[in-house]
Amino acid sequence: MAVTTPTLKKGSLFRRQHIFAGSTLTPIMVYMMIFTLIPMLWGILITFFRYSPVRAGGFLGLGGGNPFVGLENYADLFSNSPNGLLFRTSLKNTLIFSLIYMPLNLLVTLPLAVFIESVHNRAKAFFRTVYFLPTVTSLVAVSLVWGVIYNPTFGLLNMGMRALGLKGYPWLTDPNTAILGIPLPMICVLITYLWSDMGYNIVIFMAGLQGIPEVYHEAAVVDGANAWQRFRFITLPLLRSTLTFVMVMTMLSSWQVFVLFFVMTNRGGPGNATRVLVLHIYETAFRHQEMGLAATVAMALFLIIMVTTLLQLRFLRKDWEY
Amino acid sequence: MSVSKSVSRRSFLRAAALSSASAVLAACSPAASPTTAPSGEEAPKAEAPAGEKITLRLWSHQNPSFVAANEQLVAKYMEANSNVEIKYENFPYNDFITNIQTSMAAKNEADVMEMFGSWVQSYAKGGTLAAVSDIVLSLEKAKQAYYAAPLDGYTWEGKLYGMPNEYNLENGAVLINKRMFADEGITSPPEWASWDDLVLDAKKLTKVVDGNMTVAGFHYINTDGLGFLFWEGILEKGAEYFASDKIHLDFMTPQAEETVQWFYDMANVDKVVDPMTFNPNSNWVGESFFQGLVGIGFIGPWIVPEGRRNYPDFKDEWDYVSAPYFGSERKFAADAGWGKVVSPNSKSIDESWKFAAFTALEQANARQWNVGTGTVPALKAVAEDPALLNEINWLGPSLKVLGQGRFVGTLQDRDYVWVNVLSTHITECLQGVRSVKETMKLMHDEANAMIDSKIKS
Repeated sequence: MAVTTPTLKKGSLFRRQHIFAGSTLTPIMVYMMIFTLIPMLWGILITFFRYSPVRAGGFLGLGGGNPFVGLENYADLFSNSPNGLLFRTSLKNTLIFSLIYMPLNLLVTLPLAVFIESVHNRAKAFFRTVYFLPTVTSLVAVSLVWGVIYNPTFGLLNMGMRALGLKGYPWLTDPNTAILGIPLPMICVLITYLWSDMGYNIVIFMAGLQGIPEVYHEAAVVDGANAWQRFRFITLPLLRSTLTFVMVMTMLSSWQVFVLFFVMTNRGGPGNATRVLVLHIYETAFRHQEMGLAATVAMALFLIIMVTTLLQLRFLRKDWEY
Repeated sequence: MSVSKSVSRRSFLRAAALSSASAVLAACSPAASPTTAPSGEEAPKAEAPAGEKITLRLWSHQNPSFVAANEQLVAKYMEANSNVEIKYENFPYNDFITNIQTSMAAKNEADVMEMFGSWVQSYAKGGTLAAVSDIVLSLEKAKQAYYAAPLDGYTWEGKLYGMPNEYNLENGAVLINKRMFADEGITSPPEWASWDDLVLDAKKLTKVVDGNMTVAGFHYINTDGLGFLFWEGILEKGAEYFASDKIHLDFMTPQAEETVQWFYDMANVDKVVDPMTFNPNSNWVGESFFQGLVGIGFIGPWIVPEGRRNYPDFKDEWDYVSAPYFGSERKFAADAGWGKVVSPNSKSIDESWKFAAFTALEQANARQWNVGTGTVPALKAVAEDPALLNEINWLGPSLKVLGQGRFVGTLQDRDYVWVNVLSTHITECLQGVRSVKETMKLMHDEANAMIDSKIKS
């Protein structure tokens, strides 16, 4: 008895713990199942069908007007069909946007975070708020406001240029001008996205900077290191975890920008110069009513993002702490 | 097609049960007040008895004048049919499209939807719309009641899938800024014998300051406008844009090339519009006209209520006047406009059609809808009523040409042809990205590749 009683008590505690864990986790699991897992599985399933909700099918809408096509939708991405051509254009544009945006964001946000971190506490709060405000502003509103700024006839930018005696420019609608091969409208969207998104990374970097013990900097000062050397050899290496997080998150978000391209450049214009993958998915699904093809592009995007993220995590991995 | 010919036993039994029940219940119910359609036929009767509450859901896109017009008709219908409750929901345009498609997948779309006519054929082809029962409105009677251009958009394989409220007209007339005409000493309303005359006036109206175009004399570079003018040019010059198989498109005709060359010359030789600053992506004609940036604008009369609402401070006097045409006879292709369709999943299909007919087939109500929304009537009786101009006074030039239009036809993917092919590539051509000949070849190949892909699937 003396031996079994504690076991029973322990078993009872475990049961209670299991009941507690089960009762608290089940709702969120059910929620995830219904709103995340099932749609994901459905998304994967319809990549094997020529599926459109506007065509009646059999069970779950599959079959009938929405026939099974095996891997045909995947092959379509590499074919010269209209969808294949648009997919590759969108992929190229997304790559350009993403590969430029991430370093550009880091180049702007990290120095700004270091600068804000170095000023007085009151000013620090002010700058942090100012830079973070665009992040919490609706992207639709941001797109509309920046669309007006870039307007060729009465936009703020051209008004300023004319005031300086320069000619106004069709910033968002010129298909002929490119800088280093990057279409001008794409550059305009990059600037807008940077403006609206940089506050988030500034706050993350500031938190990372605050986590670096001051003692390392003090030791470096004693050793005669200047500000640049302290930043290069102390701050930057010790920010590696934060940098990894910021790079992964920035890359992820830049692959999924939709609203700016939908509103500012009127669905990827001029021509298809700013058509990106997420916009292509939307257009294929809802404008051209080919949900199966759209899901296939979404799968391709998912794979690209997954591989990119894994590579980033692999190369930026560190095996030390401070 | 199987949709039209095969009737399952379950469908037959359901229909038989429904009609038996309707007959019995109709005998018990008080006589419904007959509503007269334009042709004099009696409007369809409800299948439910008085006292049994029928709830219908109506969906439309969110446009203030459309919403107000629908709300009035819903209230009027519920007042006349006390056993019917209509729950009306409206959505922003893009959400509306996604809502329809996603809810169709779940089979819980609204009973009645106000759908744009150019979408109807693809939904009807897919079997996701209910066909109009001959008891409600036969195709023959519909042809007598409606203009061909809007009606054909609601027809698929000889069956009618909805009732159009609107004739989506872009051709036949243009907006003019009368203040600018007066400033330049141009007669208003103008009497243009040809497009050349219009371009001559447009050149006078065009203003360029320090190399920037501040007023476009003639703005036609917009997504819808380019497509509609392109079809009109081809037809009036005596050609056809469908290939001989009536499925593929033929943009390699001299007439098609001449039309694009004409677009190019107006922008780059006559310089009546700067395609860099006035195009589908910036200074859209529907807005820039009401901002005083356009002398003559090519756009349908539906823009007028929108312009008035969005630009209440626009003080310039304007008019909507007849546009010239190529050749000896005006010919154009039009889209079917907004109208009512019914879900095949509705539990009250007959009542849904009764409501649809109430709004789109009964002359007084259809007229009320057109007046409220400022749209061109699809119903001949409404358009031919001279008193209509007392309420929509800018429609005169449009009403004159309604009989000269035809439905644009089955393009397989209307938006792909219109937006991705015509609007995108013609605009690029005007902006100097590629030559007219290269543009024609590219448009021809892309449009037909899409058609092949759709046919294959």
